[in-house]
Amino acid sequence: MSDVWWAVARSEEVSQSRPLNADIGDQPVVLWRDAEGIVRALEDRCPHRRAPLSLGCVLGNGMIQCGYHGWTFDGATGHLEDIPNLKSKTRFPPIYKARNFAAAESGGFVRVCLDSKAAPPLPANETLPLSGTAQVTLGHEHFIAALFDDPSLVIAIRRVRFTPYLMAELAEQDGRLVLERSCQWATPHWPAPFSSDFPITLRIATDPVSGESDLLLRDDGFNPLLRATLAPVPAARGVTQIRWRARLESGRTGIKARSMGFGRGSPFCVLSSVDAGALRILKPSASIHAAALREAISTAAQSAGAA
Amino acid sequence: MLETRDVPPADDYVDPVSSDPKAFAAMVNSWVPHDIVLKDAWFPLAHGFAATEKPVRRAVYSQPYFLWREGDVAVAAEFHPSDRLTSGKSAYSNAAGRYPVIEKYGYIWCWFGNPDNAAPEHVPSIPYLPEEGGLPVHMLGTVRFDCTAPLSLENLIDLTHADFLHADVVGDEKMDKETVEVFHDSESITMVRTCVNKSVAPIMKWFGGVRADVQQVRQVIRIYLRSHAAIAYGRFSPGDNVQLFHPCVPETRDRTRLDYTMNTSNVKKTNPFRYIMPKASYKVSRQDSSMTSPQSPRYMNPEKRKDLHSPLDEAGQKYRVLMLALAERQARGDYAYRDNVSADCSELIGYDGT
Repeated sequence: MSDVWWAVARSEEVSQSRPLNADIGDQPVVLWRDAEGIVRALEDRCPHRRAPLSLGCVLGNGMIQCGYHGWTFDGATGHLEDIPNLKSKTRFPPIYKARNFAAAESGGFVRVCLDSKAAPPLPANETLPLSGTAQVTLGHEHFIAALFDDPSLVIAIRRVRFTPYLMAELAEQDGRLVLERSCQWATPHWPAPFSSDFPITLRIATDPVSGESDLLLRDDGFNPLLRATLAPVPAARGVTQIRWRARLESGRTGIKARSMGFGRGSPFCVLSSVDAGALRILKPSASIHAAALREAISTAAQSAGAA
Repeated sequence: MLETRDVPPADDYVDPVSSDPKAFAAMVNSWVPHDIVLKDAWFPLAHGFAATEKPVRRAVYSQPYFLWREGDVAVAAEFHPSDRLTSGKSAYSNAAGRYPVIEKYGYIWCWFGNPDNAAPEHVPSIPYLPEEGGLPVHMLGTVRFDCTAPLSLENLIDLTHADFLHADVVGDEKMDKETVEVFHDSESITMVRTCVNKSVAPIMKWFGGVRADVQQVRQVIRIYLRSHAAIAYGRFSPGDNVQLFHPCVPETRDRTRLDYTMNTSNVKKTNPFRYIMPKASYKVSRQDSSMTSPQSPRYMNPEKRKDLHSPLDEAGQKYRVLMLALAERQARGDYAYRDNVSADCSELIGYDGT
């Protein structure tokens, strides 16, 4: 967990005006932008009296000030810079610091790594315009398994119905877990078990540790219809927070594909509640081999590192 | 169940604050307030008006207290009068299931501990509350803190927090000079904060008729450790003095009840401050709870990481050590009061009757 980059916020959620609280598992994190607009991340716990720093404020100089006793910290290092009531320009010893984390921003996501010295992740090429945040009472591992086994339990794409049938089962590709699911348009049609072909597919490519997933919806001519990135992050009490970004591709052909752009709200979303009854009886299918694939990917990475 | 093994005070008592700096620091950083349950103390469980013929229920560390009046006399019992299931009676009450009770300063004080050790001289001194009670109801109120009681009191005795958390009520940190003095004995700790040319408390500016930009402030917090009860006495010039009694009753180890009295009878009847100031507790207590509520679970278990401290934390650090020392003494069976909490403390807090 300590060397993983977690997408704990969307870019538009982090500001210079107000600190933002996020979780990575049981680790509380506070995020804000400093005077240069750079995202900073510290433990959301003042080292003085353990109050959440996210209840404080961002000062004009870009430092964060605890709302309890005014202890003021530099975001880049976590060092304590000021205790206003001391009325002095005391320099504090190095031990006087809040725990700091590495932060990076690209593709409209703010990512945090609990290892402050971690190398930054590869930047994303583009920022998808649609976005949202959902919180589900489902653990991180179960959320990803549900995405693999029955996406309709955790996401919705306008005019699209997911089938139980895969064009490609879960496999490793370039260090990621990848599968491709057959889909139908959500119009009256021949039942999936009796259909010889399906008009669209959903490809899911998932990071084996963070679960960050790139989704690509294509028609049978391999024309992209919709792209999305889901970033599930384990949060406190078994909740999973999912930030997502998406884009409906232009140049969609056919009435059904074009109709994806008509309607209120976003054509893509992560569901904020899960049908627990359906989830309970959902049989593992695509996800059955996920654990073994993760293990194989981890072993290969370690071997490559040792070499 | 109460397990007391009364032993006489040991002669080799060593002040935990002044004895050994290393031991002092170690105690400060071993602070797990959730583990502290002090016994043999009076707790002000209700304002006097709350006790009527109909029993009301209170609690100290989940120990049930039912209060009511028999005639004019307040009584407290472990069981509701309608509840005949008294087989599980604890050692905190007498054979009839009754607790020792004293009515003083407008409160029903109940004893938590060995009933045989209850004595009137263990009721803390509160110089600015009339012993016979009788203050108007608008000066009384109840608020709750979503945290363990010692954290609530540690919060109170470190008044620098008020400059940030309650700046919109009592003023910010802008001032020319600030000094903090701390006094203690084995049963109490007193912090005196003197501020020179401090920005005027907004509540005094808006409702108290103070027109100046700065005021001279002397604030005193005195905590009676066992009873978890505090005096908060502030002298303001210009401005009216503030006389707050702030008892933190640990209903459970993680929740605190505060039946406060803000005695503003020193303020002119035509001054709105007399009526507004007691209500400020509703706002201030929620501000405090916004910090102490997330703090509380973080102090529930021992932590390897030490809290960081500043010179302004002297009172809070000593409060921690004195509480731990009392708990350690009680764990050894020493429940004796070494210092007299009922001795008049007017001089110490600087109260001159105004």
